[in-house]
Amino acid sequence: MRNFLAFLRQFRVILFLALLQGIALTWYFTFLQYPRSQYLTSANAFSGAFYEMQHEITEFIHLKQNNDWLQKKVARLEARQVENLLKIDRENITVNDTLYMVQYVYTPAEVIKSTHTMRNNYFTINIGSVQGVKEGMGVFGINGVVGTIHSVDLHMSTVKTCLTENVNIAAMIEDSGEHGFMKWDGKNPRKGSLTGISNDRKVKKWSNVITRGSAGTFPRGLPIGKVQKTAPIEGKPLWDVTVLFAEDYRRIQRVFVIKNLLLEEQQRLENNINAPK
Amino acid sequence: MNTTILTHIVRFVLLFILQVFILNYLEIGYGIHMMIYPIFILLLPVELNVFYLMLIAFGFGGLIDIFSDTFGMHASAAVMFAYFRPIIFKLFAPRDGYDILMETNMFQMGFGWFLRTFGILLLIHHLWFFILMIFRISEILYILQMTGLSAALSFILCILYQQLFLRKPKKEA
Repeated sequence: MRNFLAFLRQFRVILFLALLQGIALTWYFTFLQYPRSQYLTSANAFSGAFYEMQHEITEFIHLKQNNDWLQKKVARLEARQVENLLKIDRENITVNDTLYMVQYVYTPAEVIKSTHTMRNNYFTINIGSVQGVKEGMGVFGINGVVGTIHSVDLHMSTVKTCLTENVNIAAMIEDSGEHGFMKWDGKNPRKGSLTGISNDRKVKKWSNVITRGSAGTFPRGLPIGKVQKTAPIEGKPLWDVTVLFAEDYRRIQRVFVIKNLLLEEQQRLENNINAPK
Repeated sequence: MNTTILTHIVRFVLLFILQVFILNYLEIGYGIHMMIYPIFILLLPVELNVFYLMLIAFGFGGLIDIFSDTFGMHASAAVMFAYFRPIIFKLFAPRDGYDILMETNMFQMGFGWFLRTFGILLLIHHLWFFILMIFRISEILYILQMTGLSAALSFILCILYQQLFLRKPKKEA
């Protein structure tokens, strides 16, 4: 016993170091392994309040830019309005609202905190479960896909962006329809990579990369980026496709959270596949 | 004594705001990530027990972690900094030891001393931080690049901080 106490006294600094490092590293590696089980993130009410304050101060700096974006968005939506389309044949084209059913609802939100230099980058946005945000919903910017909802609090949520190592958004190449998952190598915030594209077909440069919509997170066809480069992966029959993101994550201020109204239906159907008969 | 504590609290808040609300947003590229908060741990009183030192560093790093979504990386690196501080201090101690009344900044200890101690401590801190962040042996060159460039910029930033916010000693005639 005395020897043990002497041991403790001799190495108490190292032991204390090991204790503190143990806490910090447990915190870090728990997050790496179970990214969903986190509670000490910037989405909590305490730090969220600070970021809200900071956002209010810096918001006006981006006002002009945001107005430009919104104007572009309005112009694009305006072009799709039925009133603005020319009726070629009055007999055939009728607008029957009951033929369409709303599947995706967009809720606007503002980014109150973002990073883009870390290995895994998370955004904090100013809507939460009160506004109907749930974990796993899609987040869309003005020009392209941003990511998926990572964790939700009452009035705030964090977004796992395309600038995380395993964002795993189902994506496809628009022309050929080949699909895979988005990844990020942690270096350039303008470029990501699309994995799982088999190399027996050629991938055209600058062809569009869009969401596949298979997980029900995003509707099919939202832009992610463009193919910039393809390189063969050694030892695998796959292309390493470099994608230039459509959205500039360094400057993004406003996003939309996408809610899929038919998600439960899709999940119920897909669960039936594995359910024993 | 009270003014010393107050100085450290004010410095704590100032460096925290600088780090979380300004430096975290600066992107220079090449993997550079500037950190100014280690200077706070360096400037804590010399006679402070290493346990308190590590505890304060852990708390400060953890607070920055919560605000920048880094999940314990800053806390871990700051504790490393605090652990090595007494060792490095002993290594580069002045001939008559440290004066308890003196603060270990670059004006009172001299630039040469500051360059050696803080330079080494900052390199340890940044290396540990980026190893945790990347955590892959195959990217060791990228880790070293990030560490070198970020540590150089952080060092310059800490010199600027001392020039701006610390009282310079009067020149002796």
